[in-house]
Amino acid sequence: MRALIILVLITEFWRIMSAPDEDNHAQVASHFFGELLDSVIMDVASECHRIATLGLDRNLDDEEEELRLSAQARARVADPSNSEANSKYVVDIFGQTHPAVASEIFDCMNCGRSIVAGRFAPHLEKCMGKGRKARVKATRSSTAAAAAQNR
Amino acid sequence: MSCSLSSESNHALLHTKTQIGHEIAVDIERSELYCFACDDQVYDPDFDRAVMLEKIVGLGNENLEGIRSSNKRKRLGFEGGLSSDFKNLKRVGGGGGGGGEWDHGRRLSKSCFPVGLRGLNNLGNTCFMNSVLQALLHAPPVRNYFLSGRHDRDSCRKNSSDRFCLSCDIDVIFSAVFSGDRAPYSPAQFLYSWWRLSENLACYEQQDAHEFFMSVLDRIHEKEGKTRNTNKDNGECHCVVHRAFSGLLRSDVTCTTCGYTSTTYDPCVDISLDFNTNIDHISPNKPQKSTDLGVSTLTSCLDLFTRPEKLGSDQKLYCQNCKERHESVKQMSIKRLPLVLCLHVKRFEHSLVRKASRKIDRHLQFPFSLDMTPYVSSSIVRKRFGNRIFAFEGDEAEFSTNFEVFAVITHSGMLESGHYMTYLRLNEQWYKCDDAWITEVDDEVVRASQIYLVFYVQKPNSGHKSGEDGGCHLRSSPSGDTFVSIAGCC
Repeated sequence: MRALIILVLITEFWRIMSAPDEDNHAQVASHFFGELLDSVIMDVASECHRIATLGLDRNLDDEEEELRLSAQARARVADPSNSEANSKYVVDIFGQTHPAVASEIFDCMNCGRSIVAGRFAPHLEKCMGKGRKARVKATRSSTAAAAAQNR
Repeated sequence: MSCSLSSESNHALLHTKTQIGHEIAVDIERSELYCFACDDQVYDPDFDRAVMLEKIVGLGNENLEGIRSSNKRKRLGFEGGLSSDFKNLKRVGGGGGGGGEWDHGRRLSKSCFPVGLRGLNNLGNTCFMNSVLQALLHAPPVRNYFLSGRHDRDSCRKNSSDRFCLSCDIDVIFSAVFSGDRAPYSPAQFLYSWWRLSENLACYEQQDAHEFFMSVLDRIHEKEGKTRNTNKDNGECHCVVHRAFSGLLRSDVTCTTCGYTSTTYDPCVDISLDFNTNIDHISPNKPQKSTDLGVSTLTSCLDLFTRPEKLGSDQKLYCQNCKERHESVKQMSIKRLPLVLCLHVKRFEHSLVRKASRKIDRHLQFPFSLDMTPYVSSSIVRKRFGNRIFAFEGDEAEFSTNFEVFAVITHSGMLESGHYMTYLRLNEQWYKCDDAWITEVDDEVVRASQIYLVFYVQKPNSGHKSGEDGGCHLRSSPSGDTFVSIAGCC
């Protein structure tokens, strides 16, 4: 297809250039530049037209609205006079309050001891013999035992 | 549009006036139709199909030049080749979307707060676990599965030799959280089971919520895989985890020398997104300062994820067509969307070189309603070929591409000493789940938060049933016609 266009342009080119007029050469150059520019513009216009007509473009209005809401939200939340965003909890929606460390008590399923909920994870780590502190403690006592033996 | 005889003549226009029925012309440079009656470029599926078939035939004769030159414009260095999609040109019939999972469990409890809303006690740096549990508790397919008793704890215990089963523990949590009791619940057994099953992650330390989430999905899948028969037909797993979260990613690698594209498919349970540092939106309200870089958005991260990426010269891949290693371009797209879409924002950068990690604190805007159409494989591949109206093999027409957010996990604070929370959207009200504390918050608070994991659920297709041509994702005009301005104009 492009070959055909080029052929047409070349035909025109020779038709104009066959006249010996010097001024024409500048005219011809700008004429071809214009043709090429038109072609490039049409390429872009055609693509965009297809996207818009077939509904493949994103809904820009919705996106703008979302951005506006987001900016507005950030401004309101950052406002120091806004109490809702950053205040300490008083009651939850059920009217309950909760301590900083969860106070429920239940039995550890590994060792059976009664544990406070908020301290369950650190307890479990030692109880199961995992974690750095548990391992370090173990090696220290084993090396101490080994050292005692070697004396 | 002008006649090729001479750019100055209006022969084209005269021709349409003198010859009745000759209103349609072809732009041979761009392979587009022009209608002189509408005075506009128009689109026709049969014409596009013919254009595409020409390209395919061109490839079959190994004349790849035919494809390259008929592209309207060279995209920035990326020339698309064809893959095995085109072997099968069946149009896929349209259908309604999967709607069943959307509305279950929307019962209002007597106390006017939604069921299933209950705080979770922090057992010692376990906010990462609580935040993920809250999201799972309200993922519609997961919630429906456990609440309808599909995991039978008794038979699970009898039939399995494993002492620990995360599905059983989650089932217990579902029962507790949906019981109507509002005092905060301690998921201690779940933590214990998870530690017993995930030796390498078991320690009293803040964990990464995403890593934890992946680990939990893995454990549940493993267990279900032993007890259930996987579907032998297509090797897909039908455990609750995969039915909810599993999608399919498509990766196209194109050789920059010959244009040959090789396609692979990989399943995924979530999508991890890098921050898009090419900021496309400048905030309209703020004055432009030199430091003002604009707003990052979740959709721009998805754009980045599906953008053609030129692989480095140290990553030359073997091209089956050239029989040599050449530089290539890779492009990701989503072949099949999951019911529940989990998007992971990669905020934690781990640099192997510097042996340090850092957190990206940058705010990320995200939509409450997300249309995934631009990121599905059919859209991405179609775009490569100039957006022709053309049905690809196995178009993702069965699934809705519209998603609605239901849970957001946020991270605040520093890398090592941060805090996770979950915002849940129930009955169009947002609830903040901060360990034991459940409070109501406005949309604004959620929009302004620092999102880390966002959970979207498919919205069922509304009204668009079998009448629509399932082959293309086109917007319908109000009268229900799939295509715009074809026969009706002239």
